[in-house]
Amino acid sequence: MKLSTYEPDALAPGIRRLSYGLFCWLNRHIVVLRAAGALLRRWPSIGGPFGMVARASAVKDVLTRTPSFSNTAHAANMVSGDYLIGMDPGPTYTADRALVRERLDALDVPNASDEEAKRRIGILDSGDRSFDLIENYLMWVVFHAMKPLFGSATDAVVAGSADPAAQAAVDEGLQRQYMLEIRYVAGQLLAGSLATLDLRRRAETCGDALQARIDRVTGPIGTAWGVKSASQDIERNAVGLAWISHPVTVQSGALAVQELLGRPKVYEKLWSRAQSLKDRVWTDTGFRKDVRDHVLELMRFRPIFPLLARDVPRDTELQTGARQNAKCPGGGKVSLLGIAALFDPSVVSDSRSFCPERDWGSEDPLRYLMFGYGYRQCPARDHAVDILTSALIGLLTLPRLQLARGEGKAITYDGPLMLSMRMRIT
Amino acid sequence: MLEIVRQQMICIVAPGWAGGAELPKPLHDGLNAVLRDVAVVHFASIGLLPALTGDPDPQPSLVLELAVEEGFRPYDLLYRLVYHPGGAMWALFGSMIAPNVAEPTAQHKQQLLDKLMSWHSIADGGFVGARDRSVRQIAMEKDLLDQTRIEARKLKPKYGNDRTAFALALSRWAYANPDFGWAATAAPRSYWRGKGAGIGAKLAYPVAAIVLWFALLGIVWALPRAFNWFFGEPGRVGKAIEHAVTKTTECLFTMSWHGLLAFAVIAFLVWLFLVPLPAQFVSWRRWLNSVQQELDRPTETLSSLATYVGGWVIGVPLLLAVAACAIAYTLAPLAYALAPVYMHDVIEPKLPKLTGLQITLIAVVAIAAVLAIGALFYRLNRYFTGLSEKFFHPLEDDVPRAQQIHPSVERCEAELVDGTQHMFSLTELRGPQWWSAWCIRVALRIVTFAGRVFFTQGWLGNAPGIHFGHWHIIDGGRRFLFCSNYDGNFGGYLDDFINGAAVGTTLAWRWTELHPREPALAGQPGVAKPRSFPPTRFVVFRGVKCELKFKSYARDSMLPHLYHFDACNRTVDQINLATGLRDALFGERNGKNDDLIMRAIET
Repeated sequence: MKLSTYEPDALAPGIRRLSYGLFCWLNRHIVVLRAAGALLRRWPSIGGPFGMVARASAVKDVLTRTPSFSNTAHAANMVSGDYLIGMDPGPTYTADRALVRERLDALDVPNASDEEAKRRIGILDSGDRSFDLIENYLMWVVFHAMKPLFGSATDAVVAGSADPAAQAAVDEGLQRQYMLEIRYVAGQLLAGSLATLDLRRRAETCGDALQARIDRVTGPIGTAWGVKSASQDIERNAVGLAWISHPVTVQSGALAVQELLGRPKVYEKLWSRAQSLKDRVWTDTGFRKDVRDHVLELMRFRPIFPLLARDVPRDTELQTGARQNAKCPGGGKVSLLGIAALFDPSVVSDSRSFCPERDWGSEDPLRYLMFGYGYRQCPARDHAVDILTSALIGLLTLPRLQLARGEGKAITYDGPLMLSMRMRIT
Repeated sequence: MLEIVRQQMICIVAPGWAGGAELPKPLHDGLNAVLRDVAVVHFASIGLLPALTGDPDPQPSLVLELAVEEGFRPYDLLYRLVYHPGGAMWALFGSMIAPNVAEPTAQHKQQLLDKLMSWHSIADGGFVGARDRSVRQIAMEKDLLDQTRIEARKLKPKYGNDRTAFALALSRWAYANPDFGWAATAAPRSYWRGKGAGIGAKLAYPVAAIVLWFALLGIVWALPRAFNWFFGEPGRVGKAIEHAVTKTTECLFTMSWHGLLAFAVIAFLVWLFLVPLPAQFVSWRRWLNSVQQELDRPTETLSSLATYVGGWVIGVPLLLAVAACAIAYTLAPLAYALAPVYMHDVIEPKLPKLTGLQITLIAVVAIAAVLAIGALFYRLNRYFTGLSEKFFHPLEDDVPRAQQIHPSVERCEAELVDGTQHMFSLTELRGPQWWSAWCIRVALRIVTFAGRVFFTQGWLGNAPGIHFGHWHIIDGGRRFLFCSNYDGNFGGYLDDFINGAAVGTTLAWRWTELHPREPALAGQPGVAKPRSFPPTRFVVFRGVKCELKFKSYARDSMLPHLYHFDACNRTVDQINLATGLRDALFGERNGKNDDLIMRAIET
C-alpha cells in the first residue's frame, strides 16, 4: 500500500500556481493548444529540442516505442500507488493487464449503460428543468455500467467494509461520496505533479482513503473476481480500476457534451433524428452507430488528455518529422501533443471540420488516439465509447438542452477537471 | 502564502455543548483511532469554552483544535474526518446535529460537515516549529534514529573512536537495509527552507516587484511613441492622450524613485544607528541598550519613566518628522505636476538651500551630540552613585508570589509531563473590539510571515520548542483563543517567549484583557476578577517583560483540555535530529555528516 508522505512545495511562492494555472487554462481553452500544436506540426524542428512532438507520425512513433518512451511518466501523478498505466512492461504488467481484460469482459455494455441512462433520463425529465450533467447523470450512468468490474463486491467497495450490514446500508449518498473521492485521485493524472499543494494533498488524502477502503475488502473482491492472487495484487488492481475507470469516462463524457452544445447545428441535427425515432431511439443500430461516430469526433475536438508525457529511460532519438531527429537524453521526458496529431492534415482529411462520418481508412487506429496508441492503448477503449454513446443517446431523448447560463457559471472547474456542468432543459 | 500556514491550524468552536466536563473513554479511543488512521493530524485537543458574558445560552462551546500537515484545505480535512468509517466525529458532534442518531446516514454526515465548516476558523496567525514534515515522515525518521542507535551500539566495540569509519559503517548498514529505502531521497524542504533559505532569495521578491513596476511604467510611457512610430503623427485627441500618458508615467516614475531613495536613506540611517555606531562607540551601545532596557522595564522607576517621556518628547516627534520628510520628498513630483507655479513661487523659497557637505556636517554633529550626551550620563552615573541608585531603583514585583493554578489545568499539565505540552488560553478583546481585532490580525500576519519566511529552523525569534502555536479571533471578534503545543513546561515556555519573542508576543496579546467569567462547567476554571494585559510602551515594549504579571495573566486565562492527541510524541529537537540523521546517513560522506551521525547516536 502506497502511503502518502507529502512533499512541501520547493518552488518559489507563486510559480506553481502560475504554471498550473496556465496548464489548466490551456486544457480548458483547447483552441490555444490546437494553435500551438499546428505551429509545432508545421515546424517540428522547433519542438524537437524541447522534446515536443506534434505530427501524427511522430506521436504514433513515440507511443509505439514503449521501451524508449516509458509510461512511467505517469507514476508521479498516481497518488494511490502503481497501476498499469504507469508501469513498464514486465510480468506484473502482463498479469495485471490480463486481469483487467477479464474484468472488462464482464461488463455488459451498452445494455447496462442504456438501462441506467433511461432510468436517469426518466428522473431528469420528470424533475425540474435544470440539472448537473456530471452529478445527476453521467456519474451514475458510468457507475452502473462499470459495476461488474467489482461484481458482487461493488457494495463492499462503496461501503469500504466487508460487513454485510454496512453493505446493506449503501445508498446513493455513499455511492456519491465514493465517486467524489476517486475523481480527485484521477484528477492528479493531469499534470498532478505540477498541481498546487492543496489539490495534491486532497488527492493524496482521497488516495489514502481509497486504499484503506479497498484494503478492508480485498477478500470480497478476490471472491468476486474468482482469483487467488496475493492481497497486494488484488489491492493494486482494485485501487487502479476504481480511480481510473469511472472518473476518466465521466470527464470525457462531459467534455463531449460541452463540445456538442458548442455546435448547435450538429446538436440540432442529431436531436431531431433522435426525436423522430421516438421509441426506437435505443434500438436503431444505424442511429447508435451515428451517435458513436459523433462521440469519437467530439472527443477528437476535446480529448481528456490533449497533452501526454513519456519518460526517456536511456539516450535515444525522436522522430519529430523534421529533417533531423531530435536528441533525447536519458532521464528526460518527451511531451506529446495528441491534440495536434488528431488534427494533422497529412493523415486526417479535412481535419479542421467536424465530420463524424469521415472515412479514416488505414488511419482508423489514430481515431482513438485519445485512448493511447498501439499495445499500451487503454484496454477499455470500446467500453468507454459505448457507455458515452448510451449517455449521449439518453440526453438526445430529452427536450432541447442548453448550458444553464445566467445563474453564475454553467461550468465550474477544479484544476483541469470539470466539477459541474449545469444544464437546462428548454 | 500565509494562508497555507494558517490552514494548518484549525479550531472548531461548536456552541451549545450539552455533554459533561469529561469525554467517555470509548470516544477517546475512537478519536485516537481515526486520527491515527488518517495520519495527517499532528496534534488534536478538545476543550470547553465558557459561554460569552451576557449570552442568553449559558451552555459552553466545545472547541476542537487540529494541528495538521501543510497544504490541506479545511474542507478536505474535515471531509476525511467526518466520512471516516470509524465515525468518531459523529460520536463527538452528532448530538448537536441530530440527537439520538447513532448510525448517521450520508445525509447526516454531510450536515455535520457543513456545520463543522460553519464553526471552523483557520488561525489568524500561527507558527509551525517542525516544518515540512508529515506525521508519517516523523514516525519513519524516528524509527531510523532508533534503529541506527541500536546498530551503533553493536558496532561501537569494532570502530571505537574512529569517527569516519564508524559513520561509514552506519551509512553502509542504512543503505543495505531495505526498510530504509525511502530515506535515500533527501528529506523534502519547502522553498523557504531549501532554495530560498538565503537572503538573496528573500530580497528577490521586492527587487523583482520594483523592477517590474519600473518596466511597466517604461512600457506605458513607450506605448504612445510606438504607436506614433507605426502609424504616424496622431491627431489632436491622440496628442492629448500621449501628453497625459507621458506626464502621468513621468510623475509616477519620479515619485517611485523618490520613494525608493527616501526608503533607502531611512534604511541606511536605521542601520547606521543600530549597527555600526553601537559597534564603534561604547557609549552609544550603552545608551541604546539602556533605552531598550528602560522601555522594557516592568516597574515604574524614574529611569524608565524618563525614557518613556523622552521617547514621547524627542523620539516620536523625530520619527514623525523623518516620516513627514520622506512622504513630502516622495510626493513632491506630484505637487510639481499639479501646481508647478505654487511650488516654484511659494514653497521653494521657504526651503533651506543646503549643500551636501552642510547636510553631512549637520548629521555628524547630531551624532556627536548624542554620543556626548550618552557619555555625559554614563559619567554622571559613575560619579553620583547614590543618585543613580535612586534613579535606577531595583525591580519590585507587584504580583502575589503564589499564583493559584486551577487544579484542572494542573492535572492536564501533569498528564502530559512526559510528552508535548498543550495550552488553551482564552481572553477577551479590549474595546473597541473591531480596532483590537484589526490590530491583532495585522500583528499576527506579521508574526506568521516572519515565521514562514525567516524563522525556518524551528525557532520563533529566539524561542525554541514550539510545535504549533496559533491564535484565533472567535465569537465574532469578541474573544481571543490561543492554542499551543510545545516542549518543556509552561514556565519555561513563557520564558522562551519573554526572552526570545517578546515583541511578537506583546503585539499579539496587548489588545486583550480578562473579564470575570463563570466556569464552563463544574470543575473548570473561571475568572473571578477582571485583569488587564501588562501595560505596554510604544506598542511593542514592556508587556510580556513584566514577567510575573504576564505569567499570572496567562495562567488565569488558561483552560484545561478534555482530550489531547499527539501523533508523534517527539520534541522539535528530536524531530530535527532524526531528519538530520537521515540526510547525513544517506548524504555525502564528509566531516559534517559524520559529526551529525555521531551526535545523533550519542544524544
